[in-house]
Amino acid sequence: MSQIRTAALPALARVPGVAIVLVALLVGFSLAGPRFLTPANIANILMQSTVLILLALPMTLIIMTEGLDLSMGAVLTLASIALAMTVVATGSPALGFLAGLAVGLGFGLANGALVALIGIPPFIATLGTLGIAQGLALAVTDGQSVVGIPPSIERVYSGTLFAVPIPIIIGAAAYALGHLLLYHTRFGAAVFALGGNREALRLAGASDRAMLIVVYAVGGLMAGFGALLMTARMNSAHPTAGIGLEFDAIAAVAVGGTSFERGNGWLFGTLLGVVAVGVLRNGLNLLAVPSSAQVACIGALVILALFIDALRSRP
Amino acid sequence: MVLAGQVLAGPALAANETIAVFTKNQTNPYFQAVRVGSETAAKSLGAKVIQYIPTKPDSIPEQLSQVEDVIVKKPDAILFIPVDYKALVPAVEKINAAGIPVTNITDRIAGGKLVAYVGADDYNIGLATARHLLKQMGGKGNVVILEGVKGSLTNTDRVRGFNDALKENSGVKLLASQPANYQRLNALQVMENLIQSFPQIDGVLAANDPMAVGALEALDGANRKALVVGINGSKEAVEMIKAGRLLASGDFNGFIQGCLGVEIAIRNLRKEQTPKEIILKPVVIEKSNFQAYEAPVEQRTCPKLSDMVTN
Amino acid sequence: MSQMAETRPRLALSRDVLQAFYRLLAAALLCAALALASDAFLTLGNILNVLRQTALLFLMASGLTLVILTAGLDLSVGANIGLSACLAASVIQATGSAGLGVATGIGCGALIGICNGALVAWLRIPSFIATYGMMWMLTGVTYYYMAGETIHGFPPSFRQFGSGYLLGVPIPVYVMVLFLGIGTLFAQRTIWGQQIYALGANPEATRLSGVPVERRLLLVYTFSGAMAGLASLIILARINSAQGDIGEELTLPAIAAVLIGGTSLFGGSGSVSGTLIGALILTLVLNGMNLLQINASWQPLATGLIILLAVGIDTITRRTAP
Repeated sequence: MSQIRTAALPALARVPGVAIVLVALLVGFSLAGPRFLTPANIANILMQSTVLILLALPMTLIIMTEGLDLSMGAVLTLASIALAMTVVATGSPALGFLAGLAVGLGFGLANGALVALIGIPPFIATLGTLGIAQGLALAVTDGQSVVGIPPSIERVYSGTLFAVPIPIIIGAAAYALGHLLLYHTRFGAAVFALGGNREALRLAGASDRAMLIVVYAVGGLMAGFGALLMTARMNSAHPTAGIGLEFDAIAAVAVGGTSFERGNGWLFGTLLGVVAVGVLRNGLNLLAVPSSAQVACIGALVILALFIDALRSRP
Repeated sequence: MVLAGQVLAGPALAANETIAVFTKNQTNPYFQAVRVGSETAAKSLGAKVIQYIPTKPDSIPEQLSQVEDVIVKKPDAILFIPVDYKALVPAVEKINAAGIPVTNITDRIAGGKLVAYVGADDYNIGLATARHLLKQMGGKGNVVILEGVKGSLTNTDRVRGFNDALKENSGVKLLASQPANYQRLNALQVMENLIQSFPQIDGVLAANDPMAVGALEALDGANRKALVVGINGSKEAVEMIKAGRLLASGDFNGFIQGCLGVEIAIRNLRKEQTPKEIILKPVVIEKSNFQAYEAPVEQRTCPKLSDMVTN
Repeated sequence: MSQMAETRPRLALSRDVLQAFYRLLAAALLCAALALASDAFLTLGNILNVLRQTALLFLMASGLTLVILTAGLDLSVGANIGLSACLAASVIQATGSAGLGVATGIGCGALIGICNGALVAWLRIPSFIATYGMMWMLTGVTYYYMAGETIHGFPPSFRQFGSGYLLGVPIPVYVMVLFLGIGTLFAQRTIWGQQIYALGANPEATRLSGVPVERRLLLVYTFSGAMAGLASLIILARINSAQGDIGEELTLPAIAAVLIGGTSLFGGSGSVSGTLIGALILTLVLNGMNLLQINASWQPLATGLIILLAVGIDTITRRTAP
């Protein structure tokens, strides 16, 4: 088992493209304007990135198993609607939160079952559940926002704990948990094995199918968690709020150095990838770069980070 | 319209204020008209605007992030079209908390403190446009409605206007009311399918111009004829009215809203009296009055705020 | 070794034939159900509509099929259509020439395809990410170029391309049949086609056997790009205008059509004709929902379920097949 994990270490030995890009962005934007490197702005960037971090962390694990979860954005959206509607109906934020988690977990398990038990390729399985989640979200709300949420939910996003904004704490906690899970538990070892060497997993007596289901279930659960942050941020739920988030998460994971092919994954790289995109967007907004140029820059960042990695990995 | 009875001053000294303008996406010509209007007004008053548009069209989280980023830059004022009139309320509250005055146009935001609201009366535009169609139909026949994006405030109000006009005309039958998301290709395909389902369609009420044009293309393709109305008063619609293909289009003018919104924002900064609300009167553009709308927005001049208020 | 190589294609053929049969059956059942549910379904007008809409989806997805056969993906299809359509529209409006417009559209699409191919084949960037990045860059260029405006009003000669009829059949259907033929012949009957299948099934072995893998990948992405360019022209001809967001929502349906048609994401198996059936099934579902006036909010759900059903049945039969 430990041999599979140490295979990931060579990836860390080189300085990855995402780190170079991130540092370049930080330096560049700091020089370009005085307001970038202020605590308030940095806090903004981190807070704005939290939902994406919550999705990108489990996405890393899923991609390490040579899979993909395209339904995360739609599931997050549906979960946030479930959360909002439950809170409005029962007046209990706790019940709402559980409802959101339940929706997320439900879809996660469904994804896992489709992939692991029936054997449908993850791209297709999650494309299907994306449609189902999106359709349910639209149909249940008829396109309208869900409002009337008590202020306790909003405080999850706007509140602070020991002067640190709660979303940042949640993001850090999620990362710590992910790190623990991936690098220090048998589950994490199983994730590595699922990507590179499923035989070893089976030989070791673990059920590769069960592990795979758990991986997708974790993804769904995190989407449910992200729904809480998203709902708190908007103080409402909207059926189109989460569209496209899964692609952003996948891009962050890939930019961060996790490869689609082998089982090697780098969780910290994913974090860097998410932050890099957040820094780029924030910096461009502060510089009032026209929106069309912003769109092109995002694509350029993704390609550049991978281009650097590709150059480095050539003999 | 409420105004504390004060005469509006003429153009003040150019004070080079910065107004941050938020629109929903980069592709809908309506928002381009708003942006052009905002820039025209700012230039004539000696101020400047910076445009903020989400990179993902109509993205709620992105507009929230852009508001947060813009607050750091501290513009002098903000002109705001929310992607969703309910979900962006926290953004307006943040702007309020930062002490930046915000003027709202087009989609009336459901909360927060505003300097003013400038909008069109979508309900009355829908009503007036539909009435025009029904009158041309002689008060009888079959009609279909092409709706826009479900959940969008403009759509809800316009379709309500359509339906109320229909209620006034008992000789007209509503065959179907289907959404086409304000999109042209969507409307074309929906209309094609409707044409198959219903052998006789006399009128089409489309909640915006791209859908109206899509419906026209579908009718042409099937060799059928019907009277079609849209809403937007877009350049394309005006050309088609001129050519006799489109019956009419309700004027939903982004240019004017952009102009007035920025002007109010600037005058408010200069401590002049400004109206708290302007609701533009509904106008139906059709064969008799389209000439006034033929010029592209880039060549138009902003209406004077004082003119709008004395209505 | 050589004996296994000989028997494998035959096994694969019979399994593919079986899957194609299941799909055709599914499409036929769908047609029967719709005919029963709605009087309007089996009318000549509606059938032609369905064919025309299928043709459009097929053209977008046909080049994509080849890309997926190589175990790749092209997420930039929609953005490609957007930029190609907008550039072609400008050219047509500026010159009045439909021919120049067509050349621009296809040329732009092919150029984008070459860029994608270069990123994937030579820079070895995974196709998902490379085409995702390209999608953003192309969208940015399109938005900048169109600046929130629309281009509308094309000459009738050009519009025939999308909305015209020949002998009572919509012209896009002829284009669809043409490319069905070209695509199938290319994939099944040429060496290049065989190499592409092999590339998807086993890239290392294919490379070792001397096939210039990079050049084949470049070919595949260029073709996919050119087909997107072609599809953009037909859309342009149909709706008679260009706007920056023309292609935005077209990528996932195109991919779905390919996958429902039986082409595997792992590469090496599938067919262009399968994509046609996939496109037909998707179009039938949407057509049915319109005819039956089912709330449009349910459309994504229906599409999602169909995708799961189609591929689920596939996967299960693949396991139980000999």
